[in-house]
Amino acid sequence: MTQDIRPNLLKATNEDTSGPYFPIYFQDESLEDLTVLGPGIVGGPRGQHIILSGRVFDRHGDLANGVLMEFWQANSKGIYNSPTHAAHSDLDPWFNGYGRLRSASGEYKFRTIMPGASDKRAPNITITLFSDGISRIVTQVFFEGQKANETDPLLQPLDSEDQARLIARHGGRTVDGAEVYLLDIVMAGANETPFFDDFES
Amino acid sequence: MTKFGRQLGIGPTDNTSDQRTPRKPLRLIPNAARESFVPVVPARYATRTHEWDMTRIAPDRPRGDGTPIEVTGTLRNENGTPIRDALIEIWNANHHGRYRHVEDASGLPLDENFFGMGRVVTDENGNYRFWTISPGAYLARPDIGRWRPKHIHLSVSGGSARLITQMYFSNEPNNASDPMALLMGDRFESNIGKPYETLDVDVDEGYRFDIVVGGRNATFFE
Repeated sequence: MTQDIRPNLLKATNEDTSGPYFPIYFQDESLEDLTVLGPGIVGGPRGQHIILSGRVFDRHGDLANGVLMEFWQANSKGIYNSPTHAAHSDLDPWFNGYGRLRSASGEYKFRTIMPGASDKRAPNITITLFSDGISRIVTQVFFEGQKANETDPLLQPLDSEDQARLIARHGGRTVDGAEVYLLDIVMAGANETPFFDDFES
Repeated sequence: MTKFGRQLGIGPTDNTSDQRTPRKPLRLIPNAARESFVPVVPARYATRTHEWDMTRIAPDRPRGDGTPIEVTGTLRNENGTPIRDALIEIWNANHHGRYRHVEDASGLPLDENFFGMGRVVTDENGNYRFWTISPGAYLARPDIGRWRPKHIHLSVSGGSARLITQMYFSNEPNNASDPMALLMGDRFESNIGKPYETLDVDVDEGYRFDIVVGGRNATFFE
């Protein structure tokens, strides 16, 4: 079927596991905290600082050590820094919206700004996981207390249990003013986090 | 109601795959949310100019043990459009099958002249090139005697293209038993580097590994 619709496509290279040894050497601190521009640099992106924090678990409830996490989100005005919005007046020059970290233990902490609500969407952050044993899985996290969660087109069709698995709970505020949100991700088994198919969708 | 897409496979004899592969089928993404699932990686990575030559740890140092090889290829999306200025992060085990990674507890020997990590950026036509030492195979499951076939890891990010994959070598005895290769089935062929002669360069073997980034990640914005 697909071939009839798009006959000239090249065959995609297979995705493969990152294995357990994604180099820590490739880490980039500027991708682990999107609120700072770099050592000694004045300024930063607009918006409320938040810390998204939690644990990634496997099927047995053990921490998924060595997991590589990537984050993608809109800026505080709900605008993604993507080619479609290249000329948008609400783009924030100091916010790309892409983050990455590798967690040795399976616990993670990602400092960023609260994304704004995009067209008909509740504020959200897309999370991509790479690790040993899998090639890539993708999900999206929402935030407790956001009215728009009730009408979000991704969240709304899920049953209430799955919805709860994607909504980060508010967990207080740091002394430097960042709102803390907590979300555990379960890769497999009971209480499994819903993951999404970005190839066949 | 949520609609479902692919059910991910579990790599046979791969414990971690069993522990970490979602058991429920992936959910399809409604159109209204589709754009939010296409990350755009900003082009702001730095590489050092000598990192393309992973056969030595610095330009003035001797080569590591083993066979120096060249890997070249073109990065494209499914429509055949070259992807320029993409970062390719590369890592592979040394000649003995050991990674220079703090969590590699295999006990296999390190090589003082091999680092095993490098980064290159694709040129305006999507081409890339790097040199490395041909990696060793290693015993991944001592209990059942399963070896990981020799392979090179590549992580591609550039704009909306994002892919982590591995380049394998043809005619390796351990290819047939590799869990990830088994999951790929017939499609495993596209992850094998194609050998070519390297008569005029300072490496012993050349491998062509053209990469096509598939799915909506690469094509969504075209």
